[in-house]
Amino acid sequence: MITRQLGSEVRWMLRRPRTIIGLFGLVLVPIIISFGIWTASDEGGGGPGLAAILKGNGMVVPIFTLFLSLNLLLPLVASIWAADGLAGEAQHGTLRGLLVAPVSRVRLLFVKLFGLTAMSLFAVTLMAVVGIIAGTAFLGTDGMMTLSGTTLSTAEGLVRIVLFILLVTFQMVSIGAVALAVSSTTEHPLVVQAATMTTIIVFQVLGQFPSLDWLHPFLITTGFPGLIDVMRDPIPFGQIWDSTLLAGCYLLIGTGLAAMRLITKDN
Amino acid sequence: MTTSTSAPVTAPTTHAVAARTKGLRKEYGSTVAVDRVDLELPEGAVLGMLGPNGSGKTTTIRMLLGLVRPTQGEIELLGQRLPDGVEQALPHVGALVEGPGFHPFLSGRENLIRCAAFEPLLPKKQIKQAVEDALERVGLAQAAHRRYRGYSLGMKQRLGLAGALLVPRKLVVLDEPTNGLDPAGTREIRKIIAELHEQGSTVLVSSHLLSEVEATCTHVAVLHRGTVVAQGELTELLQAGGSALQVITPDVETALGALRQAKISARPLGEGLRVELAGTSAPQVIETLVKAGVGVYEATRWKTGLEELFARLTEAEEAERGMSSVDTLDGGRR
Repeated sequence: MITRQLGSEVRWMLRRPRTIIGLFGLVLVPIIISFGIWTASDEGGGGPGLAAILKGNGMVVPIFTLFLSLNLLLPLVASIWAADGLAGEAQHGTLRGLLVAPVSRVRLLFVKLFGLTAMSLFAVTLMAVVGIIAGTAFLGTDGMMTLSGTTLSTAEGLVRIVLFILLVTFQMVSIGAVALAVSSTTEHPLVVQAATMTTIIVFQVLGQFPSLDWLHPFLITTGFPGLIDVMRDPIPFGQIWDSTLLAGCYLLIGTGLAAMRLITKDN
Repeated sequence: MTTSTSAPVTAPTTHAVAARTKGLRKEYGSTVAVDRVDLELPEGAVLGMLGPNGSGKTTTIRMLLGLVRPTQGEIELLGQRLPDGVEQALPHVGALVEGPGFHPFLSGRENLIRCAAFEPLLPKKQIKQAVEDALERVGLAQAAHRRYRGYSLGMKQRLGLAGALLVPRKLVVLDEPTNGLDPAGTREIRKIIAELHEQGSTVLVSSHLLSEVEATCTHVAVLHRGTVVAQGELTELLQAGGSALQVITPDVETALGALRQAKISARPLGEGLRVELAGTSAPQVIETLVKAGVGVYEATRWKTGLEELFARLTEAEEAERGMSSVDTLDGGRR
């Protein structure tokens, strides 16, 4: 019973025109990045940091792409799915249908969280795969050069990419869980998206002020930059662990609030 | 939310009742949407829930389905106490509440398949067949491949009905099912309700269209300002509404005199008179008239329509309210 409900949920999400358009947009990011670096590489030089080591190093494109997208694009996509999941269903009157079927409210939240996770993993993986293909096509590859200056074999590079996919997906799902909590309180999907994106942007702005450094450990966005440690050799897991733990807190709080709201909600 | 063993309330009550509410009350902030609703839905009945817009029909239905938590009161649905037993009861309940709710970007068929995936009583293998059957039943088979976005109001309503009929149900709850339907569509809905009734399902139909209820229901509950002002079997309610005999006669004066002597109340009306049948019967009235030498051209039983009954019930309530407020004022003066 539960598997067919989960399957129905993912099929439903995949059938949405906005999901298709969103995925198409996400896939464009690594292609544009690869193309941009390829055309810029003639001029020589290149900036410092990640962009600099991208030349002749296509395997880095997926990681660079996801790292960039995590700041805005992926939270946006997660918030759209979370918004459609509860607020959108309430708006169309389909939430009532599910509850009368009946689907218990706790299970409904689980189904929604599963859909969000599955689709996030799919989107992030898709971006990474397209990144590998586009990066290899435009920039070529001989292994993966790390931020520490060493070069990893292609196989090792792929392991790093898979790890990064999982880490980024987890961050995305955590943001989505908080968005689901907002989604359970309203019938307007746009409110959910606006609230989520405003929060992400405000967090990033707050993260810029040194005077607020006591606040920074609580902002989910503070954890984003640390994830790039995946590209060091050997991997220092300290920051990665902190970021993931922080995201886990957001996931728990978001899910908890959503459950509390859903259980007592009048529909 | 527990799933299986909840409480031994499953034992059927003495006279079978599909649903019952006791002292139901729902407040939204400071407004009271529903108050003191004691509703009884006998098994196998077709109960028409009547009431003007905003009388609490939909709120009552939503509480009955566990969508809304009552502020006060008890609900029993198919032998289960709500909210604990809601998951045991609801699989047997099909509902169309507050208009059909579907996804605009999916076709009618895809929408139903999504609904079916969440129906606990429907085995996976039967989903396809159940969806086709339901579409056929509501006359949507031709349009099933079209997107819901492009459906007319009537087609949307039919799809909503199809969703309620995906599985054989013990109880079908239809909130304003004929909204937006053309006369042919309304007839079809009536036909479906009659079919459900024949199969032994209990049906709860809410409507503000009196003729619709009169045509399809065995039982009626009238809601007004959030409370039930009358309920019972339709025929009983209509009879209790006082029956009368309309007599067409040119000798109105003689007739009135004769009836007065026989202690039968009557009053002139149109080309004849209207005789109240309280404490007497039609043959008796006619016998009295004929014996008095009154020429009776025509005698018709005056059937109280639901419309009249409804108007009287809601107006009586109004009058009562007015009176009680006067009473309290007087009490204050004394």
